[in-house]
Parts: sequence; structure tokens; C-alpha cells
Amino acid sequence: MKIVWSWLLELCDLDRMPSVDDGARALTGAGLEIEGVTDLGAGFSGVVVAEVVGKRPHPAADKLSLVDVIVEKGGAATQVVCGAPNVPAPGRRVLWARPGATLPGGLTLSVKPVKGIDSPGMLCSEPELGVGDDASGIIVLDEHDRTPLGAPAQQALGLADHVLEVNAPANRGDVLGHLGLARELCALLGGRVVVPPDALEPDAELVASDLDAAALAAVAIAPDTRAGCPRYVARVIDGVTVAPSPRKLAARLRAVGVRPINNLVDVTNYVMFELGQPLHAFDHAHVAGARIEVRMARPGERMTTLDGVDRALEPGDLLICDGARPVALGGVMGGLDSEVTAATTRVLLEAAAFDARTIRRTARRLGLHSEASHRFERGVDPALPPLAAARAATLLARLGGGRIARGAVDVHPAPRAPAQVPLRVARARAVTGVDLDAAACEDALTRLGCAVAATDGDALHVTVPTARADLAREIDLIEEILRLVGYDKVPATLPPLRAAPVSTADDRPDRARRALAAAGLAEAITFAFQARERGAALRLPAGDRRADPVALKNPMSADQAVLRTSLVPNLLAAVARNRNFGVPDVALFEVGSVFWRADRADGLCDEPVHACVALAGARPAWLGEARAWDVFDARGLAETLLGALSTGAVRVVAGAPAAPVEPYLHPGVSARIQLDGVDVGVLGEVHPETREAFGVEVPVFVAEIDLSKVGAAGAGAPVRQMRAIPRHPGAARDVSLLLDLAIPAARVRDVIDAAAQPLVEAVRVLEDYRGDNLPAGHKSMLWSIAYRAPDRTLTDAEVESAHEAIVARLCAELPAQRR
Amino acid sequence: MSTAASIIAELERLSGEFAALIAPLADEQAIRAAQAQFLGKKGQVSTVMKELGRLPPAERPVVGEAVNRIKGAIEHTVAAKLADLVARARAADLARVVDVTLPGRPHGGGHLHLLTQVRLEAIDIFAELGFAVAEGPQVETDWHTFEALAIPKDHPARDMQDTFYVTDDVVLRTHTSPVQIRTMQAQRPPIRIVAPGVVYRRDDDPTHSPMFTQIEGLAVDVDLKFSDLKGVLLHFVRRFFRRDLDVRFRPSYFPFVEPGAEVDMQCSFCGGSGALPTGPCRVCKTTGWVEIGGSGMVDPDVFAHVGVDSERYTGFAFGMGLERMAMLRHGVNDIKFYYEGDLRFLQMF
Repeated sequence: MKIVWSWLLELCDLDRMPSVDDGARALTGAGLEIEGVTDLGAGFSGVVVAEVVGKRPHPAADKLSLVDVIVEKGGAATQVVCGAPNVPAPGRRVLWARPGATLPGGLTLSVKPVKGIDSPGMLCSEPELGVGDDASGIIVLDEHDRTPLGAPAQQALGLADHVLEVNAPANRGDVLGHLGLARELCALLGGRVVVPPDALEPDAELVASDLDAAALAAVAIAPDTRAGCPRYVARVIDGVTVAPSPRKLAARLRAVGVRPINNLVDVTNYVMFELGQPLHAFDHAHVAGARIEVRMARPGERMTTLDGVDRALEPGDLLICDGARPVALGGVMGGLDSEVTAATTRVLLEAAAFDARTIRRTARRLGLHSEASHRFERGVDPALPPLAAARAATLLARLGGGRIARGAVDVHPAPRAPAQVPLRVARARAVTGVDLDAAACEDALTRLGCAVAATDGDALHVTVPTARADLAREIDLIEEILRLVGYDKVPATLPPLRAAPVSTADDRPDRARRALAAAGLAEAITFAFQARERGAALRLPAGDRRADPVALKNPMSADQAVLRTSLVPNLLAAVARNRNFGVPDVALFEVGSVFWRADRADGLCDEPVHACVALAGARPAWLGEARAWDVFDARGLAETLLGALSTGAVRVVAGAPAAPVEPYLHPGVSARIQLDGVDVGVLGEVHPETREAFGVEVPVFVAEIDLSKVGAAGAGAPVRQMRAIPRHPGAARDVSLLLDLAIPAARVRDVIDAAAQPLVEAVRVLEDYRGDNLPAGHKSMLWSIAYRAPDRTLTDAEVESAHEAIVARLCAELPAQRR
Repeated sequence: MSTAASIIAELERLSGEFAALIAPLADEQAIRAAQAQFLGKKGQVSTVMKELGRLPPAERPVVGEAVNRIKGAIEHTVAAKLADLVARARAADLARVVDVTLPGRPHGGGHLHLLTQVRLEAIDIFAELGFAVAEGPQVETDWHTFEALAIPKDHPARDMQDTFYVTDDVVLRTHTSPVQIRTMQAQRPPIRIVAPGVVYRRDDDPTHSPMFTQIEGLAVDVDLKFSDLKGVLLHFVRRFFRRDLDVRFRPSYFPFVEPGAEVDMQCSFCGGSGALPTGPCRVCKTTGWVEIGGSGMVDPDVFAHVGVDSERYTGFAFGMGLERMAMLRHGVNDIKFYYEGDLRFLQMF
């Protein structure tokens, strides 16, 4: 919200006049953050108030005049060439941009010949100074203007001023007008609020004793609508002439971001920005029966708001009706038919109190956010309507030449008493840690307009002004006291020592991250949302839970429409992006939640944390000795990761073209990863169609593991027990086998294990050779088996016997031939 | 018939022959073979020595002495030759020069994401003060995200956070504060937790990302004060930035805390002076202060939602953005870098 500094000061009687920066600092320090201060007159300089003392036609051009101006009484006149048709008669004042003056847009004036006659600068129009749209002539100051000659034009235009951008907290409806901020400024700097006198009582000279507001406006609030509209004040102003507003009033509206329209509309806006009370002006001629009824909308009811939209209403909407039909959506927007127009002469002015939630619901449902609804949603002081009505009526009568009907109609069936809130000073100390006493509390609250009565030393009885609906509880008062005392008075202390309980938080994700980073990979964090098509690139069949992602109702873009069901797509996208950035070798991992629909009473989804590795291009290499990443890197990393999380046995179960592991993996280069016999993830080469969908032209190897299936949350790092270190030497024997290509290494290993030779300590495969020199359809494998006994040195005969028994089983069961 | 003199002469000849044979040899095996050829059981010296038995006993000692001398000479020559070989090998080894200015072979050297590093560090710092990690779901109920935090559906404070909705009652959490609620529902005071995690808001510009990371803190206990909150945050800032930066509170409004405060710390770029040697500090816009989060005392309405007696217990809560912390410490100038998976960025940290 924008605040005009001079306007704010008009409403204050401060003990000491602050600079605008002092004021901004004080307000910011009290939680009314001033996000910026703008000098309204900064757009131009060197333009002064000058008086016309003579004018005559330019000898060489019909449309030009030569104008003599002075900038001090009795001073020498200067002749300026002017092309405007409205050069005033001598005695009137204009704005002269002298040589050296700068104008908006950067123009700097000098002495320039115009049709043969030198003109020192020029006389200015509104657009030339950026203060309005009237390009029909130069600015001529009002006859009553008292700005001294020679003064900067900013003074005459109401621009010797600053605008403060206030970020008002959502619970402070009371500061959405200059009056409310004036209250804050006075409380902070010391001073008294000055309510404009004609807000208390309209200017008597403008009141028409022969017109009675009560006779011209009958107001009723339906009994069931009193909560929605606790107060409705109406005033009637007669004989108004619609005309442009005076320059200074228009300048203030422009400064707060409102476009001036005419005196009638402008006054309602002006008073809203001044006092914080929204107003609505009806054309009395279009208020049927001169009656106003406030009621809730009926089912199926419709009305056309002043933006021309025909709207369907709901029973929760609050309506202002005349004798025949709805004329306004209360607190949100007026109706089209009853709007004031250039032809309006008699105005019915509404100043009402509306319930915040009622207004908010309607405004939100209809997407209608106006200055009025913004204020009502945040709470408007129910004491304000009569003040605002009187103030606006006076301004309207003054500016529009009208007369105010005697009296105001004020329907206020159940006035709310100011809130009474008890406060314990000891509690204020205990909560804040600041050494507050009763006097300090009372001082702060009194400055804010509260009435404070002490019941004893510790307990205060506080009566809160109706403007401060946010002060309803003791804690609210404690915050206010601290705000006034100053948050900078809060010391820094530490709470007493308490040992943290044993953590039950799931540390598997962070242990997985550390393991994979230690293995040389870089961690990526990608968005949890993705385009729906990204999921489709995984080629998941219908019915797969991952093919039915959780969708956002209001995504920011189609790229972020659904929540991810796998980490693979975003990592593939990252691989593609890196390759596009000129980084061909990629070794990334991500550990993060995936989101699966679940049938849960609370509507939430399953959010298991997955870890995923993606490898493309070559491994980090020394000099030129590059080696491409392959599926065994993916497997090794999966094993490293699982080893960091669990002591369980890891097993890899190969997929086959007939039974692919995952549709997004290469059917012949993929496997399921099992931990203690339970599937915990998959690994393999990404299916070429999947990676191509992401624009990756080289093989990508991935391993994705569901960490929720690995060990237990909060179990901590796996606890391993020491085993005896062997004290006796062992012996190793190798065997070279020729076997069918279809026999996987795991099968060989299974047969070795099945032989159950107790002396076997370790089994390794040293070679997997395929070549033309072997019989077709065969491969050669070299296995090494280590033998050891814990209690003695083995003899050759023992080793041979065990080894031959195993080789015999391999040859018979696989089958295989020894080479 | 051999005589003592002829035997000795033969031995002398063999000795000379051995010296000539061994001189060019340069490996241990050949030297040992040569030694065996002369001194072995069937070696040439042994063959000569067989003649010894045929000499008259009186002549034997002279010849025996010669045999020993020559054997000793041969053994000495062998030992010296071998020692020389070892010395030459060592010298040759030490003469080796490897260009160690070639690059090192890459090992390990992976990278935790900067945000992970910052998060783990923050967890450790708060752990020093007795805070344990707590968690909650990212797809969260409207009730936990807003209602229980004193932000009902028609409250203007909802405008402060533009929310992603999954259904009318389920949202992507806009802050980590619902973890406060879940923790207080599950656990009685005393409570001290930090809840790091990703959160979501409909916002996208150089300083806002639709997904970002917060760390939430909550303490509930008897006798906790607003000043304790300030002390905890001051401790965090000083430990995290490893500098004696100051912290200040500014009044602010968050529906779930009261009193509520924006937390500013002295700018870590200019140390609070507002100026850098190169000119005005743009990070703090010359104010010397930067905003790092929101905080306050837990509102009694929040306690009421989770059944904590607000007369007996007080509590404080705070929330900070980890992207901002990382930005302030590491100079990250656009929030988008955190989420692009760009190795050129990831490998910087």
C-alpha cells in the first residue's frame, strides 16, 4: 500500500517533526515495513511558479505567443515563446521550465530560437511534466493557489512530497489508510492523531436544513445479515455537479496508484485512502424507492456488477438492494445500474462495516479483488463509517457545489463494546525475556490508544480500541508492548541444556548420499514435479502405479504438471542437459522422494525415498585412458550404496528379453536388485527409446533403489560384528571352464555354493572370454577359488580334493568342460 | 703325476679363469652358476682337489692352504660382485625420474549437493543445542499446512503463500511448519526439533523457485522465552558463517507465532558495513542487514490445535531458506542453479 508523506503528517500532531527517512525507519522497526520511499517530484527539476505579466502574438506565427513572466514581485520580466492556446491573462500563474531545467524523459532546456525569436525555456503542460494527460494547453494554476512565485513547481502540483510503499501485515486492516498509519507514527514517535474535523461533523455551511437524510434514504439490515453487516451509514448529498477534481487531490490519488476520474468517484477513493473506510456512491435517482436493504443473496439470484459482468450469486454473498433489486455486491463491487455518472446530481453515500470472512469468501469465489474488498477482508473498524460518511459528504459538497442532507442514517443494531483483555506483567516478562514492568506495559498500550487500568501490581486491565480487532488475547498485547518497547531490546539468551532424544528420523537418505558422493558421483537435486510426458517416456504400461502420477490442480506450467513417480526421468533430463552444456561424461545421483497415489483416508500419497544413479559417457580417466561407464559400474555403485545401509546379502537377478525387468531398461542389460531375497531396486542400461525421448544419444546406465525397503528408518548405520582374522595360510586354485553362452555367472556361482565345501573361503571370477577360437555358442570362464581352514595349514591333498569335487560338480551340472 | 707345484699352478690358473669368466657377468643367477662351476661339488676346483689325496702327506698342507686361499678369493669375488650388482640396481632405481607434474589419477571425489552440505551442517549446529531432526510428508493436508497453524481457509494470510493444490484438502506443503504440528501431535513437551525439507510455492524468478528448501525449528518447554529464540538463531548464524555477525528481530506477522519476528543478520558479504572495497554492497543493498527467515513464539491457538497447555508451556519456532543461506555463504546468484543438475555447478562444491 502506498502512503503519501504529507498526507500522513496532516493527520498527526507529532512532538518532533521527523524526516521522511526517520518516519520510514520507525515504521519499519515496528513491523510496518516500508519497502521503498519515492520522491514524487524527482521526475523534473528547474521548473518554477511564474506569473504572467504580459502577452502578445508572435510576429512570425499565428499560433505562437510571446509571454512575459516574472518569478518575483517587481522583478524583471522574461519573454518566453509559447504555443499553447490557453496562455492566461496577466496576473495568473503558470509553470516555467527555465534554461537548465530537466523534464521527464531527460530533456534539458536551453535558450532556443522559435521562429526567429529566442525562448529561454518554455511554459509546461501536464504531459510535459508527467503529471496528467491534459495536452490541450499549459498548466494554469488555480486563482486561489498560494504557492509563492519562484517556488519549485513541485510545490504547486502537490509533488514536493514522498510516497512510502508499506507492506502491511495481513492482520492489520487498521493500517490500510493514512489515519491508521498516523496512529502508529504517533505511538512510535510521540504525538496525537488529528482526525479531520469534518469527519467528526460535516462543515455546517454545507448542510441543507431543508433536506433530511432519513427521509431520503430508508436503510434496513435483514436480521440474518447483521453478522455480515453490523453497521450501515448513509448520507445524501444533493445538487452535485460532476467535474474533474482539484489538482492536489488528483495528485494524491495518482500518488497512491489510483487514476482520478471525477470529483464524485475521487472523493470516495480519497476518503478510503485517508481513513481506511471503503465508501460507495450510488446515484440516488437510481435507488428505487430511496430504500436500501442489506441482505444475503437468494439461491439462483444474479446481478450485473459495474464491470459489466452478469454474475451468479450464492447465499453466502452479501447484497445491497434498493426497493426493487440488488444494487451492489456489498464490500466487493457496485452494480452497473446504480453507478454514479456524469449526469448524477443527488448522491447516496454508503459507509458500512462488513464481516471480513463474508467479503473474503465472495471476493475469492468471484475473483474480484478491489481496494474495498482488500480492506474489508482485513477488518475495518466499525467506528469508522460515520466518520468517513461525514468527511466524504463534506468534500463532495465542497468540490461538487452540492448540499449535504441533514443527519446521517446510521443502522447499527448491536454495537460491539471495545474488547477487554487482562494482562499479567510477569507473563509478558516470561514470554519475552525482556525486563518489562507495569509502567512500561501501560505506557506502550496507552500510546496505542488502549485504556489501561491496573488491578494490582502485576495484572493490568486493558480496553482495546475497536480499530484493533487483532488485539484480543494477552499474547497479542504482549507482542504490542514488545513492538513499542522495541524488538532491539530483546536480549540473546540460550535455553537450558537438554539432551536430544535418540533420533528416530530416517537417516537412510543421507547415508545413501554420503556413500554415493564418496564413490565419486555428484549429487543432483531436481524438481519433484515434471511434465506428464516425462512419465510416458518410461514406456510404463497402463495399470502401472507409476503411470498414474499425482497431478497438481494449479501447476505453473505443463512442464511441472505432475509429481514424479521415479527419479529416472529427471536424471535423464539432467544427463541430456549436461551433454548439451558440453559435458559429455556424466555421473550423477539423486536421493529424493517419489510420489505414488495411495488409498489413504487423509488423501496423502506414498512418498518413498529413492536413490538413483545415472552414468553416461566415460569414467573419470587419467590422461587419455578413457573407459566408458558400463552396467557393472551401475551394479558396483548399487552394491556400495546397499553396503552403506545394510549388512544384508545383495543379489542381482538378470532380466531376459522375454521377461524385461522394466520397460524403460534394455531387456538384455538389466536386472532386479535383491537384498536378503527382497526386491529393492533395478539396474541396467536405459532402453534406447527412453533415453532418445530425452535427447540422449549414448548409452546411459542407471540403478534405482527404494530406500524404504532397505533396513529400517531411524536404525542408524548397520552395526557389524568383528570376525576372526585368519591365522593359517590358505591356498587358491583356478579352474578354466568352457560353457554354453546362456549359462550366467550367477549359475556357476550357485553350483559352487551348492557343493558346500567347508574349506571354500572366497570365490572370484577372473575372466569371461568370448571369441572365435571357441566352439560356437560357448564362452570360456576362469574362476579362482580360495581355500582355508581356520585351525590349521591345509595340505595340498586337502585342497586338491575339495577343488576337484567342485570342478566335477561344475562339469556335470552346468554342464561345462574343463579347459 | 701331479705335484704340489703343478696343482697349485692349476689352482692359480683356475682362479684367473674364474676372474675372467665373472668379470662381464651382470646378473645374480649367472654369477651363482659360475661360482658353482668352480666351487660346486663337481666344480673345477673340486676336481683339482681330488688330486690332493695322491700327494705325499707332507705336501698336503701347502696345497690345502692354497686351495683355501683360492676358494676364499673366489667367494670374496662373488660377494663383491653381488654387492656391486645390488648397489648398481639401487642406483639405477634411484636414477629413475617420473614426471610427477602430470595430473593425478582421479579417485573418489564425488560431490554432495551444496544444499545437502548446508543442510547437514545446519542439522549439526542445531544438534549442539539439543535439536533432533523431524520429518513430514511433502504432499500434506490443508489442515496440517494451514488450519492447525491458525490460517483458516478464508484468512488473508493465505495470500502470503501461493499454494499448489492436489485436491481441495491436499496441498504441496508451502513451508516446513506442518512438521511442527505432526511433531506436537506425536510427542509431548519438552520438544526440540529441526525439520529440514523441500517446500513448494507458485513463484519463479531469480530469487524464487517453485521448489525450495527450508529448515524449520521448534522448541516447546517450560520457561522458553523470545530471547532464547534470538540466542539460538544468533548461535546458528555465528557457527554457520564462522563470523561474529549480529542478528536482529523485526516485528512481523505469521499467524502461527506471536510475538512474530523477521530475522535479519548482518550481511555476510560486507560484514554489516554496507560497503565492499569495490563499492556499495549489493547483497544487502547497503543496509548492512539481510533477511534470513521468520520466527516467533508459538501462538496459543496452535497449541490448542495439538492439545498443548499454553499456560504451562511456551515455545518458539523459526524457519529459514537454505538456498538463501548457501547463497549468502557461497555467492550463488541465481536460485535456478540448485535444481538443474548442471555438473559444472555441482562440482564446484
